[in-house]
Amino acid sequence: MPPSWHSSILFRTGLVLVAVFVLLGALTVALNLKYDRIQAEAASKLRLSQLLDTVESTASVACFAGDEVLAAELASGLLRNSEVLSVVIQAGELELASRRRSQDPVEASADANATPLVREVFSPFTPETRVGRILLTPNLSVIREAMHQEAHVAMVQMALQLLLVALAVAAAMLLRIIRPIKAISDGLHGMDATRGERLPLPAGHRRSEIGRLVTDVNLMADRLVKALDEERGLRIQREIDERRYHAIFKNAETGIFIIDNEGILTSWNPAFARLARLPVVDEPPTELSIFCLGWKEPARLAEVLLGCLSNHRSTAADLPFRTPEGPDRWLSMVLTPIAEQSIQGVIHDVTQHKEAERSARQMAVTDSLTGVANPLGLEQRMQELTLACDLRQHEGFALILISFDDFRRILDGFGPATGDEILKEATRRLSRSVKSTDVVARIGADQFALVLVDLQRDLDAERVAARILQGLHQHYFVAGSPLRLHVSAGIAFYPQDTDAGIPGLMQHAGLALSHAKASNGSDVRFFDPNLAKIAEHRRRLEYDLRRAVREKQFVLFFQPIVDLKHNRLAGAEALIRWQHPERGLVPPDEFIPLAEETGLITDMGLWVVEEAGRQLAAWRREGKTLSLSVNVSACQIPDGLPPDILLDLASRLDFTPASLALEITEGVLLSDLGGAQTWLEAVRANGFPVYLDDFGTGYSSLSYLKRFSVDRLKVDKSFVRDINTNVGDQALVEAVTAMARSFEIEVVAEGVEDAGHVRLLRRMGCRYAQGYYFSRPVPIESFPDVGERIPELLLTTLES
Amino acid sequence: MKTRHGLRRLLIITLLLGLGGARADGALVVVMSGASGVDSLTREEVINIFLGRFRQLPSGQAALPVDQPEDPALLADFYQRLVNKKPAEIRAYWSRLVFSGKTAPPRQAKSHEEGLKWLSDNPGAVGYMRSDARPSQLKVVFTLGP
Repeated sequence: MPPSWHSSILFRTGLVLVAVFVLLGALTVALNLKYDRIQAEAASKLRLSQLLDTVESTASVACFAGDEVLAAELASGLLRNSEVLSVVIQAGELELASRRRSQDPVEASADANATPLVREVFSPFTPETRVGRILLTPNLSVIREAMHQEAHVAMVQMALQLLLVALAVAAAMLLRIIRPIKAISDGLHGMDATRGERLPLPAGHRRSEIGRLVTDVNLMADRLVKALDEERGLRIQREIDERRYHAIFKNAETGIFIIDNEGILTSWNPAFARLARLPVVDEPPTELSIFCLGWKEPARLAEVLLGCLSNHRSTAADLPFRTPEGPDRWLSMVLTPIAEQSIQGVIHDVTQHKEAERSARQMAVTDSLTGVANPLGLEQRMQELTLACDLRQHEGFALILISFDDFRRILDGFGPATGDEILKEATRRLSRSVKSTDVVARIGADQFALVLVDLQRDLDAERVAARILQGLHQHYFVAGSPLRLHVSAGIAFYPQDTDAGIPGLMQHAGLALSHAKASNGSDVRFFDPNLAKIAEHRRRLEYDLRRAVREKQFVLFFQPIVDLKHNRLAGAEALIRWQHPERGLVPPDEFIPLAEETGLITDMGLWVVEEAGRQLAAWRREGKTLSLSVNVSACQIPDGLPPDILLDLASRLDFTPASLALEITEGVLLSDLGGAQTWLEAVRANGFPVYLDDFGTGYSSLSYLKRFSVDRLKVDKSFVRDINTNVGDQALVEAVTAMARSFEIEVVAEGVEDAGHVRLLRRMGCRYAQGYYFSRPVPIESFPDVGERIPELLLTTLES
Repeated sequence: MKTRHGLRRLLIITLLLGLGGARADGALVVVMSGASGVDSLTREEVINIFLGRFRQLPSGQAALPVDQPEDPALLADFYQRLVNKKPAEIRAYWSRLVFSGKTAPPRQAKSHEEGLKWLSDNPGAVGYMRSDARPSQLKVVFTLGP
């Protein structure tokens, strides 16, 4: 639409121009007129003055001579000048001539104010003498008339200039601005930017603002077209995506649906219809609630839905679904809130997963060989039972641990396949002998557990256990031949026999079982709180003992051994004592068995020989020829105390091997014949004497004495103690002494308690004696005193 | 004054040329008849009388100035000394005044004798002459120094 004429640039610019020009013109004309008037008046005055100059000499004569005629003539002459209004010539006070121009009264009034021009007239002969004057009044109206004319001309000229300038400006604007703008406007109206059309650059405007405007418009068009293209590309991509998503939605195996917060289905895919067994109809029902489907537990679904709505986050659940065609299916559902009161959900069939999971769970708690519960299964079952017991659903239960005593022998003898067969058979027998609510579990290679519910302690438990064991004691047929196995059982009751839950119960049943195994002849043991106390004591002792070994809390005590033949101190037996930080000295029989069981005996034994060696070296330095004997446990032989280490010790500490005797028991020789013999020979070959300790208490087989070479026998104190009174003991010691002499083995009598013993032994030909008569075992500090007393004690025996 | 010296020298030359030994440098006197009753005139009064301004003697008697054009040197000398004008200027002056007819130039004596006669005859007549040429009956009323 073309702009209306009064809002066009041309008109408005013209208006402004005209206003500015008129204002400027008026101001200029007014200033010019004022200036011109002043100029004109000055010029008029000058001209009149010059006019007066020309008549001055004549006026001088006229005034000098007072010639009125001449003066009148002169005045007339002056009046001929149009600028002169009136002339008065005076000679002194006398007016010689006075002439005035006739004029309009109006003008006359205006000229009344006009100041006459006065010219003094001097004598022609004496210039200093003033003879008169001329009063000449200028004709202002003439000047004004001229001025007016001049102003008119100026205004006309101004108007002409204004007109020309306005025309020029209008033309320039029209040509340089309005036409290019109109051309741009027209071009924009018809331009189709998407087809690549752009505005042409108007000629001659390459660098002007118009040109820049056109360039900018074209750039903007470029950008717009580019943005449009991108937008179109995005739209197309979106359509493709939408189609793709729709295809995914339709073809997915997963059921996808959308419901509102009431559970009304608003949209679903074919997979959902299939999984949810929706009826196949052309027109889907309008108000179909998700709760009206075949859920077995709609309340659970409602819970999930509420959870999703209240927490505003995805909620998942596996829900059982009843199907018309067969067994129930498990559907896994994930609900995700997508908008206000709208929830998106997916379902898929997880029946197989569920089955697999169930079977895996079953596997996890089942023993693969026997098909009964494994330890995990037992624990779970017991958890359930303890829970039920806490809830007073039953009185409690009994845990029976059953173990084959010598199953390893079977495995070694008949092979693992036979072992498996026996275990399976045992399982069958166990299962037969308990109620279906009871639990049978295999918890170790040859260990079973029974959990018997509602079994009263001491009433029928023992009877039931006995019956069960009896079943297990029956012959097993292996490769057609009958085999009998011994079985032990330990029983503990829940909740009476535990204060630490199921682990405590297991531990106590285990203790009872160990006890049953340890005690010969008794197959079944009930848990006894004392067992727990003993076990606890043992546990603490073991802990302390480990620390003692680590912190070397042991000391050696020395009991002198006296040579009865030469009546002198021969040496001592070094005995280990435990200096417990709280309990004081602990006797060896309290901790040595435990040390042997736990293997700590090895470290302790090494410490003992080292300490003994150190003492021997000290005596050697003091010039004393004393020997020491140390006890070596069966557990130390052969690897716990290697012969090489002993030799190293002797050379390192500098004592002779012959001075350190090793006391072993018959048990050593019994347990491992080959290894012990080798060790014995190596030790003796290195020069260490070996004593056979506690001789007489065990088998005391004479064949051992023949097979193993030892250096001394130590007759047990139980024989020596009563030789004074008991003839049998006396005969036995005498026989041993005699026999040893024939083997060329010296004898040490232990437990020598009085002088009578010594006399008797000496008479028997026993070479060495050891016992309280001489001294109890003493710390090394007291040993020298003990040694000093020995001769006196021997003297007593000799005198009698 | 330099101008005056120059003029004087010019006058001397003129006299020498024109008169041939005339006593050009002698004093000029304004004379009147002894019967005029006027003893002396001021230079102002002489100028007024000769240049037609006031033709009245202090005694109230009309003054009658007499020019002596037959002695142009004297005339020139007189006006030169009186108002410092040349005879041509004097003539130009009179030519303006005669136009109105209100006053007339001094009476022109055709000869020295005629001039003397008029002076003698008319008590109001005022004439001029060189001082050495003054007859005794004429009274000097004003002297124009050289």
